[in-house]
Amino acid sequence: MKSLRKVFEVPAVLTLIHYRVVLILVATVLLSVSFVPGLTEFRTLSLSLDRAATLGLVAVGLTVVLLLGKLDLSVGSILALSGIAAIALQPQLGQFGAAAAGVLVGLLAGILNGFLVVVLQINSLVATLASMIFLRALCHFLTDSNPISGNDPLFGLAVSRALGGSFSLRTFIFLLAIILLFLWLTYTVSGRHTYAVGSNEDAATASGIRSGAYVFGAFVFSGLMSGIAGVMQSLATNTGSPVFGSTIALTAIAAVVIGGTRLEGGRGSALGTLGGVLVLAAITTTLEYESVASYYQNIVTGTILLILILLDRIASDSPRSALSLSSLLPTRAQKRSPAP
Amino acid sequence: MTSTSTVPPRATDEKRANKLLGGVALPVGILGLLIVGSLLSEQFLTTRNLTNVVINMSIVGIIVVGMTFVFIVRGLADLSVPAMVGIGALLALGLQPALGSVLAALVGVLAASLAGLINGLLIGYARLNPVITTLATGTIVLGVAQAAVGGVIVYGNDPELQAFLTGRLIGVPVIVLIFLAVALGGHLLLSRTTFGRWVYATGSNPEAARASAIPLQFTKGAAFWMTATLSGFSGVLLGLTLQTARPGVGAGYEFDAITAVVVGGVSLLGGFGSMPRALGGLLLVTLLSNIMVLNGIPTESQGLVMGSLIAAAVALDVYLRRRGGAS
Repeated sequence: MKSLRKVFEVPAVLTLIHYRVVLILVATVLLSVSFVPGLTEFRTLSLSLDRAATLGLVAVGLTVVLLLGKLDLSVGSILALSGIAAIALQPQLGQFGAAAAGVLVGLLAGILNGFLVVVLQINSLVATLASMIFLRALCHFLTDSNPISGNDPLFGLAVSRALGGSFSLRTFIFLLAIILLFLWLTYTVSGRHTYAVGSNEDAATASGIRSGAYVFGAFVFSGLMSGIAGVMQSLATNTGSPVFGSTIALTAIAAVVIGGTRLEGGRGSALGTLGGVLVLAAITTTLEYESVASYYQNIVTGTILLILILLDRIASDSPRSALSLSSLLPTRAQKRSPAP
Repeated sequence: MTSTSTVPPRATDEKRANKLLGGVALPVGILGLLIVGSLLSEQFLTTRNLTNVVINMSIVGIIVVGMTFVFIVRGLADLSVPAMVGIGALLALGLQPALGSVLAALVGVLAASLAGLINGLLIGYARLNPVITTLATGTIVLGVAQAAVGGVIVYGNDPELQAFLTGRLIGVPVIVLIFLAVALGGHLLLSRTTFGRWVYATGSNPEAARASAIPLQFTKGAAFWMTATLSGFSGVLLGLTLQTARPGVGAGYEFDAITAVVVGGVSLLGGFGSMPRALGGLLLVTLLSNIMVLNGIPTESQGLVMGSLIAAAVALDVYLRRRGGAS
């Protein structure tokens, strides 16, 4: 055990752990390329990316929530509800109007989450569990548990069709979201404040940051992203279904965590999330091409996730990294202790 | 730490009043539901319907017993429950031809228990985040269980055992007796033993608990190990009573269990709650669901009420704590 600890104190190893997302991404992509012939062809690549875009958009929203040390389980329900709105309102509002309404539904659901977590002070795990159950039931209630179809199947094709031989619209939106999130988190004051709130909410509040507003904003952002993802998913398939996205929350959380964002908050990045989404996309593409049963895919994904969080723990326990700023701040467990 | 009471001695009158309100809300809610239910439907207050309610409670109830420990020890929640239920049900039925019913059931529970041991080691000793850890182990365990039986629906072939489990012993359904035994065991463990006091101490103030030489890591790990084992056991019972199991059989059980515990007023922040409270929450949720079914509200839409109930219950809890707390 001692010698194992020593290994993790070597700077090179720590650097490797720090950039583990890149490492694991390169590894999975190399594996994918060797298994799937023609993956490097642009068309295949574009298709794989298109399929990952929905997950990616949800993951972008979750990145901010997780950065703040919160959790959002309701993204899948929001995705389904927005999609249903975007399809069901087409006769009344027209296709573009309904799509906008769907995005608005996502935004409103995010506001609901923000209200529960910030105003009512409910723990985000339970609060978003409640809204997850509520919104999912709303989807079933509105549709009588049956999928609904839009009036023009050709309208939504633009979302998933490659634009001018390049990527599809939703891939572009996903990549744009990643870039904007990266720029915001890295180069703006409010971006840096987000990290501060995530590391230690009380300390951030004490330094004059309105922590509550950041948390509220994060849930609204997450709702908005899930809304956009849901609208595009429903347009692409011309279907609004109450069961859409029922497992996407856990997969998206996995993608964000594989990307190096910590559930305890205060650490993570937009590019990491991009890496996490690409890793999962590469695994899916490869295993599907090899027609490996989906449960083996679960075993692989779960194991990668487990190894990464374990490495993260070992790395942050080593004395060398104890010098980093984040480890000097109190942990969540200490912070949560009841008032004296 | 010799007292089993969770109320610090500095409790003020206002605090006591709040505690009273918090403690009374649940029985009043259950009583109210019994009244409303009997007004809305003639079938509600019949022995047959109420027996059904209790039978419906039993499978989730066994999981709730474990989840209560996880909540009080401040372990957030165990999201690997569906996988443990799944592996229990799949192995108990899938291995029946090879091992016989009893041994297969035992293997099912043991497999979940082993996975729970991994949960416990990772969360208790390696101090990983419970949410992401149980998410990962759950994904792996369910994958392994599916691979073990070939990823298909499994059927059992032991109608005798099924008849025994769905039958009655001294007038009470056997499955309810099993649940009551587990609940009583969990209650005694939590309220009467040293381990139970460790659970409260670890959840309410980890620093003080560490200073009092309480084995924090063991206590936290044990809570997760117990939850996984009980979920596996629950899965085995579910499989044996239905004599059929698909991999997704446990889906939603983690949220059902969390809902019950939360509605019972057991705090996610740890250190507070009890087995009767959690099971009271479960009874309330099950009664509510039963009333809605009797009045023709489909299960899928019941979440509108359940979701609101969870939010309201926790908001009330937070409000009472803040008003009664020192802040």
